[in-house]
Amino acid sequence: MHFYLDRLTLALYALRDNRLRTVLSILGISLGIAAVMAVGTISKGGNYLVFSELETFGLNSVWVYRDRQDKDPHRKVREGTGIDNDDYQAIVSHCCKAVNRMSPFVRGREKLIIQTVNQYSNADVKGVGKDFTLINNDTLIKGRSFRLKDITSNRAVAILGPTAVTDLFGETGSPIGKEFRIGLRKLLVIGVLKAKSRDFLASIGSSGEDANNRILIPYTFYQKILGNKAINQIRAEAISLDKAESAARQLIVMLRRGNDKHFEYGYETMTSYIKTTDNILNGVSIIGIVAASISLLVGGMGIMNIMSTSVLERTREIGLRKAVGARYSDIMLQFLMEATIISTLGGLIGLILGSGSSILLAKLTGFPLIPSLTSIMIAFVVSVGMGIVSGYWPAKRAASLHPVEALRYE
Amino acid sequence: MIRLDNIYKAYQVGDISLPVLRGITLTIEEGEFVSIMGASGSGKTTLLNLIGCLDSIDEGSYFLSGEKVLGASSDQLAGFRSRHIGFVFQLFNLIPRITALRNVELPLIYAGISSVERKNLALEALENVGLTDRAHHVPAQLSGGQQQRVAIARALINRPRILVADEPTGSLDSTTSQEIMRLFQALNQGGMTIVMVTHEEEIEKYTRRIVRLVDGNIVS
Ligand SMILES: Nc1ncnc2c1ncn2[C@@H]1O[C@H](COP(=O)(O)OP(=O)(O)O)[C@@H](O)[C@H]1O
Ligand SMILES: [Mg+2]
Repeated sequence: MHFYLDRLTLALYALRDNRLRTVLSILGISLGIAAVMAVGTISKGGNYLVFSELETFGLNSVWVYRDRQDKDPHRKVREGTGIDNDDYQAIVSHCCKAVNRMSPFVRGREKLIIQTVNQYSNADVKGVGKDFTLINNDTLIKGRSFRLKDITSNRAVAILGPTAVTDLFGETGSPIGKEFRIGLRKLLVIGVLKAKSRDFLASIGSSGEDANNRILIPYTFYQKILGNKAINQIRAEAISLDKAESAARQLIVMLRRGNDKHFEYGYETMTSYIKTTDNILNGVSIIGIVAASISLLVGGMGIMNIMSTSVLERTREIGLRKAVGARYSDIMLQFLMEATIISTLGGLIGLILGSGSSILLAKLTGFPLIPSLTSIMIAFVVSVGMGIVSGYWPAKRAASLHPVEALRYE
Repeated sequence: MIRLDNIYKAYQVGDISLPVLRGITLTIEEGEFVSIMGASGSGKTTLLNLIGCLDSIDEGSYFLSGEKVLGASSDQLAGFRSRHIGFVFQLFNLIPRITALRNVELPLIYAGISSVERKNLALEALENVGLTDRAHHVPAQLSGGQQQRVAIARALINRPRILVADEPTGSLDSTTSQEIMRLFQALNQGGMTIVMVTHEEEIEKYTRRIVRLVDGNIVS
């Protein structure tokens, strides 16, 4: 240890003698490192943003529906949703390995009048199965979810989104146990959904609907209102995100078989959204990495410059050190340490800047943006590496000096 | 102890080879105090640097304490210098930024001695040259004679077998020069082998043997 401490103090003298260039190099390296950390923060924040919103759909959810662009243009276009209760029952009893749970999903073509005595709602009414809230990652803040009996006996019960609650029952009091009408039918409120945020997805045009202005009712009850047995979509939860696509294909195979291949089906999973997000974040990261590289380059060249000057100014000193027994590696190490001190100092400042701002951002946004151990390690490795790389040539030149020549140097 | 046999050394200046030493044969026994004399440019420094293992020999053979020096790598030469040689220069060659104590410690760093031991040895060495109270001064705060004594303390700290001095009094006034030479004499009486380059007649009288160089040859 003492061996390194000696070199450390010697190195610090050299840096003191080159103040301006030292400061500039430290600045370059610290900006570079801060930029590297910012890239980490941005992609982390972006991922969090997107994943937390995608989770409002259920990250593993799979939507299967009839594709109206039936493949054969000569066939007469068939009416219908392509899925009915028989298909669903068949799937439930035979399908599918990649599917964890599923639910029918029914939505009417026309808007129904939704009202209490004197208040109206323009909510979207969805007919769903027992497990829909689980698949769709819906949490209830009041009341209960659907039970099997609610579905099988097509009971007139409903779970309301927060906007629908306010529209129908005002801000005060619990709506649980209260009644309202859809068309002519009276329904009982059994649950209230927790509010969902989809601001980011809405801003890139992918949100579709207002998650907070929904009314969920048993799909069987909705079918009774509509007077048919049609199902618009099957909403399923795959056993994992990776298996979402195969879950969709398994479901489609079942549907095609059940309908004698009369219809074509399409599906949607979250994977495509995740891919889009990744592309955007990668773009941002590349810009950040380019900026970081430029800063690091400037810092590295600064270090190289300081070290070269330092070697020149201390030629006699190097000769003397060799005369009293310093080997090639001793001189090499001394100058590499000087370069590494500058770069690690810069790295340290960059680390403080970078993690400071991401912690601040975390406080402001509530996102979990605390810098990871990995990004700290990367910053450290990069800055030590910068020192070694940019100090290498000057150090090598110093170490290769001939002692007699160096001692003669004026 | 020092056995030089038919040594040749030339400097390469561009395409031209400039011969400086032309067949030097010289033996120096342990405990000798030798001064090398000669006109400026006669090759004194070159010869001393070869003896001090600071430079490589073109031709001939050199044994130092029975070890073959010719053909050693530059790191091996550094090892020879660290173990056997103490250097004293005309311009002292102290590192200006660091204290006398740190300057004296320097050879011990490269000999791999621990910092506590280094400090004790360096203080002891400074005491031997009468500079205990100047240990924490930087070179600029010391007189020429004091700087040269710091340099001598540095040269002696590794307990070398040979002290090699290139015009050690060349930058000093005559009173200080005599002090330095008396220090050398005392060291020599303590058994140290000393090889010194000088061109001053009143300095040479302190030594016991004189080697005269003319144009890269020993004449006496
Ligand atoms: N590194 C070198 N490159 C070229 N010529 C040199 C070099 N060192 C010394 N010389 C030349 O070699 C000759 C002897 O030099 P030197 O040994 O320093 O002489 P002295 O010490 O006796 O004055 C001189 O002519 C000098 O110019
Ligand atoms: Mg000379």
